[in-house]
Amino acid sequence: MGANQRLRRRTVWLLVIILALGFGAVIARLGYLQLVQGEELQRRAVEQQLSDTPISAKRGTIYDTNGKVLAQSASVWRVVMAPAYFDDDEQRQFVANRLANILGLNEADLLEDTKQNTYYVSVKRKIESEEKEKIIELQQEIKDKYNKTAIISLLDDYKRYYPYSDLASSVIGFTGMDDQGLSGVEFQYNDELTGTPGRIVTAQNGIQTEMPFDYNQNIDAIDGNSLVLTIDETVQSIVEKHMKQAVIDNDVHDRGVCIIMDVNTGEIKAMATVNGFDLNQPYAISEEQQEEIDAIDNDYLIEHDYAEDPSKLSKTERNKLIEKAKSEAEAAALSKNWRNKAVSDTYYPGSVFKMVTLSMALEEKAVDKDDSFFCGGSYQIYNDKINCTGNHGSQNYQQALWNSCNPAFIQIGQKVGMENFWNYYQAFGFSEKTGIDLPGESSDQFFRYDGIEDNMGPVDLAVASFGQNFAITPIQMITAACAVTNGGYLVQPHVVKQILDKDGNVVKNISTEPKRQVISKEVSEEMRGLLEENVINYGGKNGYVAGYRIGGKTGTSEKLIDVNGDGVDDYIASFCGIAPANNPKYACLVFFDAPLAGNYYGSQVAAPVFASIMSEVLPYLNVVAQYTDDELSKIDTTTGSYTGMSVADATTTANADGFNVTVKGEGTTVLAQNPPTGASIPMGGTVVLYTDQESSSEKVTVPSFEGYSVTDANYLAAQAGINVSLTGQVSSSESKAIAQSIPEGEEVAPGTVVTVTFSTEGTND
Amino acid sequence: MSTIEHTSAERRRDYERSRARRSSASRTADRPDRTRRVRVDASPAPERQKIRFSLLSIGKGLDVPFVLIILALLVIGLTMMFSASYPVAYYERGDSYYYLKRQLIFALIGLAVMIAVSYVDYHYYHRFSALILGVSYFALVLVLILPAQEGGVHRWIGIGDIFGVQASEISKFAIILFLAHWGSRFYDYMNTFKYGILPAAAVLASTAFLLLLEPHYSCIVIISVLTVIMLFVSGIKMKWLAIGGVALVGIILLLWTTGLLTYAMERMDGWGQALVYKDNDQWQQTWQTRNSLYAIGSGGLFGLGLGQSRQKYLYLPEPQNDFVFAIVCEELGLIGAALILLIFALLVWRGVVISLRARDRFGKLLGIGLISHIGLQVILNILVITDWLPNTGISLPFFSYGGSSLLTLMFEMGVILSVSRTSNIEKS
Repeated sequence: MGANQRLRRRTVWLLVIILALGFGAVIARLGYLQLVQGEELQRRAVEQQLSDTPISAKRGTIYDTNGKVLAQSASVWRVVMAPAYFDDDEQRQFVANRLANILGLNEADLLEDTKQNTYYVSVKRKIESEEKEKIIELQQEIKDKYNKTAIISLLDDYKRYYPYSDLASSVIGFTGMDDQGLSGVEFQYNDELTGTPGRIVTAQNGIQTEMPFDYNQNIDAIDGNSLVLTIDETVQSIVEKHMKQAVIDNDVHDRGVCIIMDVNTGEIKAMATVNGFDLNQPYAISEEQQEEIDAIDNDYLIEHDYAEDPSKLSKTERNKLIEKAKSEAEAAALSKNWRNKAVSDTYYPGSVFKMVTLSMALEEKAVDKDDSFFCGGSYQIYNDKINCTGNHGSQNYQQALWNSCNPAFIQIGQKVGMENFWNYYQAFGFSEKTGIDLPGESSDQFFRYDGIEDNMGPVDLAVASFGQNFAITPIQMITAACAVTNGGYLVQPHVVKQILDKDGNVVKNISTEPKRQVISKEVSEEMRGLLEENVINYGGKNGYVAGYRIGGKTGTSEKLIDVNGDGVDDYIASFCGIAPANNPKYACLVFFDAPLAGNYYGSQVAAPVFASIMSEVLPYLNVVAQYTDDELSKIDTTTGSYTGMSVADATTTANADGFNVTVKGEGTTVLAQNPPTGASIPMGGTVVLYTDQESSSEKVTVPSFEGYSVTDANYLAAQAGINVSLTGQVSSSESKAIAQSIPEGEEVAPGTVVTVTFSTEGTND
Repeated sequence: MSTIEHTSAERRRDYERSRARRSSASRTADRPDRTRRVRVDASPAPERQKIRFSLLSIGKGLDVPFVLIILALLVIGLTMMFSASYPVAYYERGDSYYYLKRQLIFALIGLAVMIAVSYVDYHYYHRFSALILGVSYFALVLVLILPAQEGGVHRWIGIGDIFGVQASEISKFAIILFLAHWGSRFYDYMNTFKYGILPAAAVLASTAFLLLLEPHYSCIVIISVLTVIMLFVSGIKMKWLAIGGVALVGIILLLWTTGLLTYAMERMDGWGQALVYKDNDQWQQTWQTRNSLYAIGSGGLFGLGLGQSRQKYLYLPEPQNDFVFAIVCEELGLIGAALILLIFALLVWRGVVISLRARDRFGKLLGIGLISHIGLQVILNILVITDWLPNTGISLPFFSYGGSSLLTLMFEMGVILSVSRTSNIEKS
């Protein structure tokens, strides 16, 4: 074989190896990567090449039933920083300093942040437009000074505003830092309100800045749905106004609750836990609470089992314990503020529950009009002696309700029997949560009688008959009261009426069907009559509202706890009523947990508040008033303007308006009048007309009205030459004046209006 | 003349012009030349006669297909290097054209060098082969003395800040030249150990040792393969190749145990594992390879389009250097990549054809050695960027940015062209 031939042959071999093996392998490898693995590799490449910035969706608005805004999100901004763009410490120092000044942050902390080698540091959230403007100026400054644009940026953010601050706070609830609902409707309907966050997908290069070419994909955020509540802001405001005053007047230890509910639909018109909290500052505690926390000392530590003897501890240890106690007390205070007592707290319903017991008995025909129930002031059942508020003697079941007689109801309960009682207890919805659309609803605490876990005994039945020793929530009580009076239907209480999309279109109407019929229409009708009679003539008198047919029942239940350490167990005063009694529309439950001002009877504490609330709410809700003649005479009318008229004309006009006239002075023209134009005084009140200057200095003395009846008070006022405006329980002959707006002995101009409050003394609940 | 009948009119004009020039300058005719050259081939100690060159004429002119292939690769290479480099140039240098401008200058110089070198009778290199080998050794020692570059390696001899040359570039050429020289001179004795193996082994071992100190493992691999190719073509006995293979494995095992492979091992830790997260170190180490794979995979069959690479936006570090072909794959897809590889294959094939038709064994061996080097470099480069070989710094001829390597490349192309001037391709 020739040398050249060998060379040629070997070279050809070499060529084949290089081209076939080498290039072949390379092509095969590329083909595998690009065709087989291509999709996966491309996915991973795209993943790193695209930056995905979330866009917050605007949280939906919460409206009251008439479209008033209760909660709304407004645009704010979030400041973020990309410290990786800093060149040197001088720039870092400058930016940290300016940011600290603008945003009120710690400069040293910010300086630490600027040293991170990242592109995203959240500096501050929820800044408002004033700060935002300053940040924009700072951005410009950084650009001018260092020719850098990406160090500081502003991202959209939202902040929640509650225009009525503490109104319906426990119902509406509040949101957290990330716009998530934390309590109330905000929590319950968080998914509806939140919306869908959008994304901005942009191409970015290896150092996370934007690519020079255009690749931008925006997925818009879908704003959250809005809610229309059944709550009526006006009704809620009326309720809270009266509840707040009552909580102060009665020195209520554990807050008060008022629920107004549509008896037929279950719509909650108002639900107040008083005092609530400012939704705009949910983490603020009241001054009173702060004082209590500040007052934490050694005794508190002993009392609350922090230490057996704090004086033995070292100072630092003691301070540590006090700090711990304070922070725990603060947390407790906050959670107490946020708690919606109307659905989360249980209580013994007391005598209010008697309407339920009697409904069972009537439905089961366990009692008869002729049945007689004897009350000797107490009732002995096994080893327990149950006392009554009075010695009612022999009563039928109607009188038993009106007298709110415990021994009689023990007997009625016994006639119903344990099994029936348990069945109706379930039927009225006490054994299950109502399912109201609010978070944190509690379950009842009751003896069971379901054949599986029987632990209800005769004594339990006896006390349960008049509402003691089992606990239910206020919302369960009012729902049952609706069933008693609305024809027997157990309705679904709810606070949200409609869900609207971001454009205001209705997404969902929430109408709820009654869950079931518990008692017959006839029994319900009879109960309405009994409850109305109770308000007109018996224990519920203080709940009467002039012009309206009110039915209701008072309740004074034992808490069996001594909340204030005075050695006496405290009470819950409550009143549950409906209006109008012939054709109920609204039910209202008023409830005070431990009034400590001395008076704790439902009839004394809760019923007058019920009456005050309903007297404003019912006209607002267009429930037509029908006054008796007697009532008409006591209804306030607005005075007209008589000034400038001749005495004769003024007298005629005032008389036509329904007022008596007293003319002071010798002139012929009326120069001034008292009460002034637009004042509210009862029909038949006196308007004083002044015809000259001298007479206007004349004064009269305000008498003491306290203890007088309505008629006497009117007489006294006429004698003194002043007007009285009558409030409270004015329809009952037993009513006595308990307060007056201008104190006795004050010198006032003739015709001045003094508001006098009346109440009855009844305690039979 | 038969040669003329097979050429284009243009070539014929060139040929006739040069013939007219030659006949006016000297009375020497073609025929005596040819007979004498035949004798040269047959004689172990040839008495050569200088050949007059014309630029493109057949027989004594440049091989036009080879030149066209080179120009095609150069243009495509520059374009793709520019496309791959402009984001990096923009972000890091503030001038999108930074790399293009420099590479363009070197390409033009390179072309001039190539043409110039093609005029040089390659037989001159016979007498320089020892000298160039000496320069190679000198350079290899010099880099060890000079301060280290980034990464603690001693590879570059800098001339100011502007221009640097890798000592290994000289070595690769020096070894090819030396083995071509040796193989042609002692062709008949290449089947002996003394002439066939010993000198080559000595040169390889010593050069490899110095490269080990740099260290520059990928170059050791290349010169080893090149040595084997040269010896194979030079006609050594196959058993020596087998023995060499065994010896190679032995040496690697030895280095393994002595820990001298640390650098390469570090590089190899992530070899083939670029897509699998093991730990942060490995993830960082394989960053470049992984992003190369992302780029290649993103290209698919048709690519994202020229200039449309996304991975070059600071994801793939130094996309203008060794990994330029990853961006080519991303932008032009498998089809574009395959076409470019086809052009490379044509270059290799044409180089081999030129070499085989060289008038003497020196030309044949020199041409085969140089063109094998190009082919080898292409294959190894793509195996690196596709994660089949560890990331050890093998550039892609005509594509990767680098002035000195481009100049060296163009110089080598010039040498092959100089060989082509002596080969009568049309004759076979």
